[in-house]
Amino acid sequence: MDLLTIILKMAEGLEKTCAIFFLTLLFSIPLGMVVALLRGSKLKIVSGIARAYISVLRGTPLMLQLIAVTYGPYYLFGISVSRNKLIPVVIAFAINYAAYFAEIYRSGIESMPVGQYEAAEVLGYTKVQTFFKIILPQVIRRILPSITNEIVTLVKDTSMAFTVSYQEMFTIGKQIANSQTSFVPFIVAGVFYYVFNAIVSFVMGRVEKAMSYYKI
Amino acid sequence: MPVLSMTNIQKSFGENHVLKDISLHVDQREVVSIIGPSGSGKSTLLRCATFLETIDAGEIAYMDQKAVQTVNGKAVYAKNLKPFRKDFGLVFQNFNLFPHRTVLKNVTDAPISVLHRDPKEVKALAEELLGKMGLADRAGAYPCELSGGQQQRVSIVRALAMQPKILFFDEPTSALDPELTGEVLKVIKQLAEEHMTMVIVTHEMAFARAVSDRVIFMDGGVIVEQGRPEDVFGDTQEERTKQFLRHYER
Amino acid sequence: MKRVLALVLALLMAALTFGLAGCGAKTEETTTAAPDATQEATDAPRTIFTMGIDPEYPPFSYLGDDGDYTGFDVEVCKAVCEKLGWEFKVFGVNWDEKLVQLDAGECDCVWSGMTILDSMKEAGYVISNPYFDNEQVLLVKEDSPYQSAADLKGKDVAVQLGTSGESLLNDDLKELADSFGQVVTADSFLKCFTELAGNAVDAVFVDKPVADSYVAKNEGYRIIDEDFGAEQYGIAFRSGDATLCEQVEGAVEALVADGTYAAIAAKYPDIEGNLLYLK
Repeated sequence: MDLLTIILKMAEGLEKTCAIFFLTLLFSIPLGMVVALLRGSKLKIVSGIARAYISVLRGTPLMLQLIAVTYGPYYLFGISVSRNKLIPVVIAFAINYAAYFAEIYRSGIESMPVGQYEAAEVLGYTKVQTFFKIILPQVIRRILPSITNEIVTLVKDTSMAFTVSYQEMFTIGKQIANSQTSFVPFIVAGVFYYVFNAIVSFVMGRVEKAMSYYKI
Repeated sequence: MPVLSMTNIQKSFGENHVLKDISLHVDQREVVSIIGPSGSGKSTLLRCATFLETIDAGEIAYMDQKAVQTVNGKAVYAKNLKPFRKDFGLVFQNFNLFPHRTVLKNVTDAPISVLHRDPKEVKALAEELLGKMGLADRAGAYPCELSGGQQQRVSIVRALAMQPKILFFDEPTSALDPELTGEVLKVIKQLAEEHMTMVIVTHEMAFARAVSDRVIFMDGGVIVEQGRPEDVFGDTQEERTKQFLRHYER
Repeated sequence: MKRVLALVLALLMAALTFGLAGCGAKTEETTTAAPDATQEATDAPRTIFTMGIDPEYPPFSYLGDDGDYTGFDVEVCKAVCEKLGWEFKVFGVNWDEKLVQLDAGECDCVWSGMTILDSMKEAGYVISNPYFDNEQVLLVKEDSPYQSAADLKGKDVAVQLGTSGESLLNDDLKELADSFGQVVTADSFLKCFTELAGNAVDAVFVDKPVADSYVAKNEGYRIIDEDFGAEQYGIAFRSGDATLCEQVEGAVEALVADGTYAAIAAKYPDIEGNLLYLK
């Protein structure tokens, strides 16, 4: 198998890697916000559940969560394992990353000076208006570097989907490496991930720059 | 009809009894200064008046409409405080401008999105007020690009753009470098000359004496002495007030 | 603009890959050379022998009920070590990285129901004489309608990454693989079987002894036995370890001669019939 064939074959898997990446971000970013808000709830039960959620998902390996989400329903309830592995994979990634995002949001929200809330309250903004108009835009600006970190990690973590037999780029690379007794697919995989992350860093750098029109 | 009536206000933080049965009534076009040592409860009084702190007992009314009354010894707040918030504005010691928004947006957003006023009219009013405060050319700037004095003037404009019936100032110059206090005091003085109803908590004695219709000296959670500035400063009655004012005589 | 950027990226990637591949080839030579050097340099007699196994590959190698690794291959290797006076050690390899791990010196051989592939010999590994006739089968659910590989047209089939079954589906059986709906590669047999049990796939393409052992232990499964081409198991050593290979083979032959080999084989009736030393 020549190099071009290897690259093309792995590029097929790249589509699935991208699917994990974008769908995970699509679901985990808002889900993380929901968890962060629940964690800040005044109701002890609600905040306790959110706290436990974050603690469990951050305290156990993503690989374990992937296996639990994919095969757990079968072992526990006899529910068929999904044929489209993208579904359990994205669920596992999204709930895992939501926990990390929730903590980032929380730290961002807690770093906001109380004066911003008070100024908004005196001006008569509702709680919802205060959150979306005053607090959230500033929180996003503050947490963007941490978010970038997580996104870069996510690119690399997508390779973990191979543990539940999802045929993403790295799994295909391993298959080729086996059948060819060759190390080249791993180098190709490394280059793919590196370029992917270079693009992510570039885009996030642009976003950060666009948001730094004011000083904190 | 008084703009603000605070009657028999009680407020404690845990064991600390901060406001002991204080009453304060402010009439229309009246300028009241509150002076006193730190910890005397003067800032807390403003924060209670603006609902940033809840009182334990007493009554608060704006334009004779009761926002808080006391039932069986406990303060009961009106279900909807929004209509009362329209009546007052508050200028903070630390300005608390919204750093992610331009000066103009800081000033116009609340009147538009909270009071649902016509955006064009609000913008015209904002530009007029900014011009009056000598900030006409800074409308597009972000707060971080302004000096402290300019920021505080913007926050005064932000409060005025809501067209409140009464304006509270919580030590408006305390966070400023001494050379910048003058420009802010000048603006407040200008408002006093236009007979804006105001309550000003301040450490600037000369300023309080010059602009106020009435000066209140607070200490230990009670009003020790109050009256016309020339009486409080010139013909001080209480020993505690004399002691306090002595620190400011140079 | 975007197209230009994409082109530049593609070129950069190709250049990097070629460059690195070049380096990779060179380092490969040096790493394979390194173990020989140490082996030859140390004329001192070997004291420890580390066996590389797939820890989830019953009945050849697996975690026994007592928590120690066991299985046919493990027991034979243990007996070999006793015979040669070596200390016996087991190392669980990641099956799809087994040869890399062997080269890295993490184990001294890979001996775990390993199918001999031409590509291994081409890559320079020393491979022992074959000791087991293997064939690939399809494991399906008992109540499923499938009777032959042809019935599985358009259906999903699981195979373990790094097994000869996977290699076959990539090469000699490419046509068959293409007729399947999807070939799902899992990283262990347990996962292949879980996929089948959980109805995520319709069949598992697997070595016959493993399938036999699974059917014997679990209800509701059967085997589709078709001729997918014969293959044999052997032991892989690093390229410079021909002497080591001979030593091990000699010891195995001695075990065959004194009957120990047959005694071990008798414990594994599923595979006994296909052991070449007993034919």
